[in-house]
Amino acid sequence: GTSFPLVSRGMNEVGLAAKLTCVICSRTRTVHVSSLKIRKTNVVSVMSPAGCPHVNGFKVDNWKQNLRVIYQCFVWSGSAETRKRKAKSCICHMCGAHLNRLHSCLSCVFFGCFTKKHIHEHAKNKRHNLAIDLLYGGIYCFVCQDYIYDKDMEQIAKEEQRKAWKLQGRFFPLFNPSVGPSGLHHSVGEKYSTWEPTKRELELLRHNPKRRKITTNCTIGLRGLINLGNTCFMNCIVQALTHTPLLRDFFLSDRHKCEMQSNSCLVCEMSQLFQEFYSGHRSPHIPFRLLHLVWTHARHLAGYEQQDAHEFLIAALDVLHRHCKDDNGKKANNPNNCNCIIDQIFTGGLQSDVTCQVCHGVSTTIDPFWDISLDLPGSSTPFWPLSPGGDGSTLNGESHLSGATTLTDCLRRFTRPEHLGSSAKIKCSGCHSYQESTKQLTMKKLPIVACFHLKRFEHSAKLRRKIPTYVSFPLELDMTPFMASSKESRMNGQYQQSVDVYSLFAVVNHQGTLESGHYTTFIRQHKDQWFKCDDAVITKASIKDVLDSEGYLLFYHKQFLEYE
Amino acid sequence: MSKDSKMRATINQKLTEMGERERLKELLRAKLTECGWRDQLKAHCKDVIKEKGLEHVTVEDLVVEITPKGRVLVPDSVKKELLQRIRAFLAQHAT
Repeated sequence: GTSFPLVSRGMNEVGLAAKLTCVICSRTRTVHVSSLKIRKTNVVSVMSPAGCPHVNGFKVDNWKQNLRVIYQCFVWSGSAETRKRKAKSCICHMCGAHLNRLHSCLSCVFFGCFTKKHIHEHAKNKRHNLAIDLLYGGIYCFVCQDYIYDKDMEQIAKEEQRKAWKLQGRFFPLFNPSVGPSGLHHSVGEKYSTWEPTKRELELLRHNPKRRKITTNCTIGLRGLINLGNTCFMNCIVQALTHTPLLRDFFLSDRHKCEMQSNSCLVCEMSQLFQEFYSGHRSPHIPFRLLHLVWTHARHLAGYEQQDAHEFLIAALDVLHRHCKDDNGKKANNPNNCNCIIDQIFTGGLQSDVTCQVCHGVSTTIDPFWDISLDLPGSSTPFWPLSPGGDGSTLNGESHLSGATTLTDCLRRFTRPEHLGSSAKIKCSGCHSYQESTKQLTMKKLPIVACFHLKRFEHSAKLRRKIPTYVSFPLELDMTPFMASSKESRMNGQYQQSVDVYSLFAVVNHQGTLESGHYTTFIRQHKDQWFKCDDAVITKASIKDVLDSEGYLLFYHKQFLEYE
Repeated sequence: MSKDSKMRATINQKLTEMGERERLKELLRAKLTECGWRDQLKAHCKDVIKEKGLEHVTVEDLVVEITPKGRVLVPDSVKKELLQRIRAFLAQHAT
């Protein structure tokens, strides 16, 4: 905390001495802030602790006790008795209303509306200059025509507020650095306050004196992972997840409260993993417990064979989602109603519109998704020929060297209307018969973290192979053209604003063939530093290295987080 | 006082007496923070203060400027939920 007593040095000089006290070790230091430029207007607007001169008429006899009673009975009614009294008596003496910013006269028993100026009339007639706002406890002076902040009165207000809240079982912050001239902390019932350590936390901080400073060059969060026998498919995903900002924040702020009886909670293990990654240890971590839990909960991934990293990602998200609890304390088993951290971050909604070719009726379904799997040119499913440089392809600044396919091309293909042939007729509810139709996919809701899976592994009946086609992907991706809302705007001829912009933060790559290959991950640290994670070896990488890589799983993070 | 405002006063009395008014206020406060209403109005307050000047602005200025905007910006879903709560409470404690 800091306090700024005004110190005069001579007749014309005014200097500031800042007294700084560490809340952890309690040492104090006085610093002359002589370099502080004091603007003349600031000095004028500094409020005097004595509110306004008109309170002096009020501050006589037993005024403190009287004021307390007013707060207890009419402003912050803590007990059932005072509440009852407040309910009955707090109405305007002139019009009977209980709304309209009711104020109580400080000099006599009179309640009047502020909005309708009833209290103003009373003040003028009786020359009672002060009134109190029954909603927020502020003191209004009719002479100054504004709310005034008197230090003594504020002190009483704060104490009474705290007392009433205690009775109601409400929390009041211990320290209150946001106290300005008014001692009142925000408004009634306001739970938010800036963070201040509790007594217990101060104790912990004193007992654990080691501190870690985060600078732009520090490597906190970077740690290698030992390969336990073809487990690079797991390691590469762990690197991506431990560098997902929102997930990292969730686990480092200890938000997981485990209710599982056994020791097999994957979320707890993730939490432990984050602790290991951000511990500052530079030796590679051995994730044997994680591997064991994965084998336990996702049997299809057990064994020492190389598995698919994408399959592991989906399995891991699924188990984490199942082991999480949603906000209401119920098990997160309902996919449509879950509020767990996995759903909050990774779940999006994919809209599928099926249009009947005869009556043009549209049937819409929305399915949740954790990733978008994109077909590539060169696979056995025909890729819609899109001319490079066509509409939208320069939108994301992707390179079109020698006609390379871009991520945007793949997305456009994914969201194009597809004619379902005569062999796949859909029953149309409008026509009451089977008709040919077109189907189109768009994004109804994009997750905060969007994962794109480039389908490089072909497992058709005839062949199993890897498609090594280079797909160029951007650092910044604008998803607006692929949204369901954009499709509607386009149909209405409206202009679509770019609001769904995403930033690349992790790239999982596969080197080698289907039979024998190796996974590595590029991850983004701080704003624009990239690192390559190859099992136990972490090396610095350039943006060019990342963008030139083949790309198998691409992780993008939404730039702007919105309200619900 | 009209019949309507009489009813309002009675309801308010009941809500206050049983402490439900405070609980509803808490709920409303949380909902309005979640949906961004609070931040929107905070930003608007700052604009008003800049416009009028820090030296001359009064609480009254802010109230006059903020109240209409604040009322309009409350999402319908929040209004619905509060109304439901009040109805449920009154049904439970009907005399």
